[in-house]
Amino acid sequence: MRKDLVFGMAGSGGDGIVSAGESLLNAAAAEGYHGMMTKSFGSQIRGGESSCRVRISTEHLLNPGGDLDVAVALNWEDFLKFGAELPVSGSTVVIYEAATKVEPENIPLLGVTPLQVIAVPISEMAKATAGTERAKNTVVLGLIAGWFGIGREAVLAGFRKKLAKKGEDVLAANERAFNEGIKFAEEHPLKAPMTIALSKGAVSGKLMTDGNDMCAAAAIFAGCQFFSGYPITPSTEIMQFFGEHVWKYGGAMLQAEDEIAGIGAAIGASFAGKKAMTATSGPGLSLKTEMMGLASIAELPLVIVDVQRGGPSTGMPTKPEQSDLFAAAFSAHGDVVRPILAPTCVADTFRITVEAFNLAEEFQTPVIILSDQEISQRKETLDPIDTSQFKIVNRLRASATDLQDYNRFKITESGISPISIPGMLGGTYLASGIEHNEDGSPTASGDVHQRMNEKRIRKFEPLHNRRDLFSIEGNPTAPLALVAWGSIAGVCSEAVSIAREEGLNVKLLVPYLVYPIAEGVYREFFASVQRGLVVEQSHLGQFYRLLRMYVDLPKGVESMARSGANPFRPSEIVVVLHRLLAELQHSQAGKLQPQE
Amino acid sequence: MSETTTPTATPEYVFLPKDYKSDLKPIWCPGCGDFSVVQAIYRALAAIGRAPHETAFISGIGCSSRIPGYTTAYGFNSVHGRSLPIAQGIKLANPDLLVLAAGGDGDGFSIGGGHVPHLVRRNMDITYIVMDNQIYGLTKGQLSPTSPKGRMTCTSKYGSLEEPVNPLQYVLGYGANFVAQGSAADLIGMTAIIEEAIRFPGFAFVNIQSPCVTYGEESQQIKGLKAITEPLAAIGHDSSDRMKAMEIAQYYGQKFHTGVLYRNPNPPPTYESQVKERQAALSQGALPKEQILDLFIKR
Repeated sequence: MRKDLVFGMAGSGGDGIVSAGESLLNAAAAEGYHGMMTKSFGSQIRGGESSCRVRISTEHLLNPGGDLDVAVALNWEDFLKFGAELPVSGSTVVIYEAATKVEPENIPLLGVTPLQVIAVPISEMAKATAGTERAKNTVVLGLIAGWFGIGREAVLAGFRKKLAKKGEDVLAANERAFNEGIKFAEEHPLKAPMTIALSKGAVSGKLMTDGNDMCAAAAIFAGCQFFSGYPITPSTEIMQFFGEHVWKYGGAMLQAEDEIAGIGAAIGASFAGKKAMTATSGPGLSLKTEMMGLASIAELPLVIVDVQRGGPSTGMPTKPEQSDLFAAAFSAHGDVVRPILAPTCVADTFRITVEAFNLAEEFQTPVIILSDQEISQRKETLDPIDTSQFKIVNRLRASATDLQDYNRFKITESGISPISIPGMLGGTYLASGIEHNEDGSPTASGDVHQRMNEKRIRKFEPLHNRRDLFSIEGNPTAPLALVAWGSIAGVCSEAVSIAREEGLNVKLLVPYLVYPIAEGVYREFFASVQRGLVVEQSHLGQFYRLLRMYVDLPKGVESMARSGANPFRPSEIVVVLHRLLAELQHSQAGKLQPQE
Repeated sequence: MSETTTPTATPEYVFLPKDYKSDLKPIWCPGCGDFSVVQAIYRALAAIGRAPHETAFISGIGCSSRIPGYTTAYGFNSVHGRSLPIAQGIKLANPDLLVLAAGGDGDGFSIGGGHVPHLVRRNMDITYIVMDNQIYGLTKGQLSPTSPKGRMTCTSKYGSLEEPVNPLQYVLGYGANFVAQGSAADLIGMTAIIEEAIRFPGFAFVNIQSPCVTYGEESQQIKGLKAITEPLAAIGHDSSDRMKAMEIAQYYGQKFHTGVLYRNPNPPPTYESQVKERQAALSQGALPKEQILDLFIKR
């Protein structure tokens, strides 16, 4: 019995492989399992290759898993296009379409001998039972139910809901195709059975969603009443969610004519007193930078979501990467500090988004949420979230006393100046991108510029003490350490669990507040560390380099960095941890040599 | 969507143009047409009588974009070419505000040109005033999108090779419901046009020939403009006739037509009024926002 199974399936666009993945995830959730599904596509709109990875577990999941336990290839050409995104190993069961006419011993996976390889006449079975090849994905679901014990009941129940409108005939055809899959599996048992353990039972009130929808819902919960943006993969679903729901809360969504107008209208709405948000991905972030600087100098609260994809330029719109960090931290000219928050999974996207609004409001600043394609488009089963435990912060409004002799940009001890809102009598001022005096009037004085820069940066000092925006796992005094942010944090968390089970004394630091760098937190964390890894999906190792700008890392801390799309596997990180430990022991042994 | 409690002008109090004038001293050159434009705006606002704190005035970058700072309204002197997106965000966030946007021809028809058609088609109740001087003044005399072909400037040493933008024809072509043109030399006429534009229920565009006394050419100074001025009232133009307005607009740059070129006698509903309707319709029976995650419950 396994507590965890990872499925990877690929086919061409019309094969319905993603829809099969969704049915599998829904069925598993209905049976009380934890599940997570990521999708990956070629960039074609229709047709082209498409794939999904579904991980199902009896335990809470932190990442979409490493090597596949089960690989399903409806054709080899499309499967191979995903390369290391769908890694097959010696413990993988490979199921493929017999119509590909490839012999099981000749499957085109070089350098790997899977646990078992099974050719199944999937399209033939679909045609025979449902009368159409389009039922291939249903046959696959039947095979999975038969061999791995997931969804025997729940898949059919799901069909009944999903296909209700299509009529009895369609439903019956799908049932026949599904049962045919089960039958095939029963007639051809696996050499080594691979069934999943029973779940702990279905929990009511469980949620299932992806990072983009979670982000938008959290924003509305936080009081966001205005969204404007421009469609861009993979962030568009945030705008779609607002377009469907924000009106119900007295808000508005504007699909702007371009990325610049998208952030511009959000800045306008914030100036007018509303909590506002825009969302984009890499190229859009590049376009928005001038306006980000404007929001900083005009000291207007604003939340900008950047769902990272492969870059530079158009890069890889449908694949995740963590390479927008420098752009998020440093783009827009001038001396600016702009907080960056990063969720690590769909569940904490809620907390991080609420926090982003709170920081934006508290510090009257743009805040960037750096998500990525994986979190944004992966579906997860989640435990219910108790929203009543979240605090909502609103900007410091000018009081009646402030308004008697109002200075919008008054230099205060905290650096935060009470803000007025159009409509408030006595509160009129000039917001501007040009440097300004405390009353908002334009200035070219070097002295004023110095004082204003100092105020605008000083106000972020409390962020250096927000330890709640970091998490540490493992033994706090461990000599071995990992640091990871965003979606890679979940992979590292699992790597640390495995490594600790294997006896390694290792810990993990996950920053949710990625910038500004809270130097004290890192100094404290690294105090015990002699060897470590900063793991990230960026070829340059942007986070490692950013850290080094602010923190003297111990000499033994290395960068483990790679370009986007290909996921990290917990197992490969554990391997490197073992190497680091060996090095550490070796160097310590060296030190213990008696001195001549 | 409005949540601000706005004290309104008391019935006894009548606003005067000086109530809209700030203490800030304009950076404009002596004799600049923009002095007269800001005067017209003070007068138009006073005639309408909305309190300064209920007014938001947004601009981009350029000499003329300094204008919000010279008023007592809530001002936003933003970045080059982006007054209109910001103005739209403000209008949607609080439709009760009187929203004005202003800037120069470079701000509106070069760097910010992509925003104009979209505000026009959304028809938000925003008045957009362009101070058109056919030159980049703030950067000291470069070619602008409305500079006539052949114009010699420091960036067109041998004369420009491109046709100018025709702001009137563009905005009419985009489908605007209110298009007018005024002259900085005619304070009374300009005030009347701006007041009518602000009162118009929907997007209104006012192009004002506001000469640059420092870098502008002789033909574009007050004197030169007077020679080609043709008030629309004098030629008996019917401002409800859109096709005729398009025809007249062709002469931009050759003749100087002042007055209301086009005013839709049946203005369509504004964007923000439709938003209000949608908010009212959809908010009934909606999940409280504290329960929004219930949308994700697997049933």
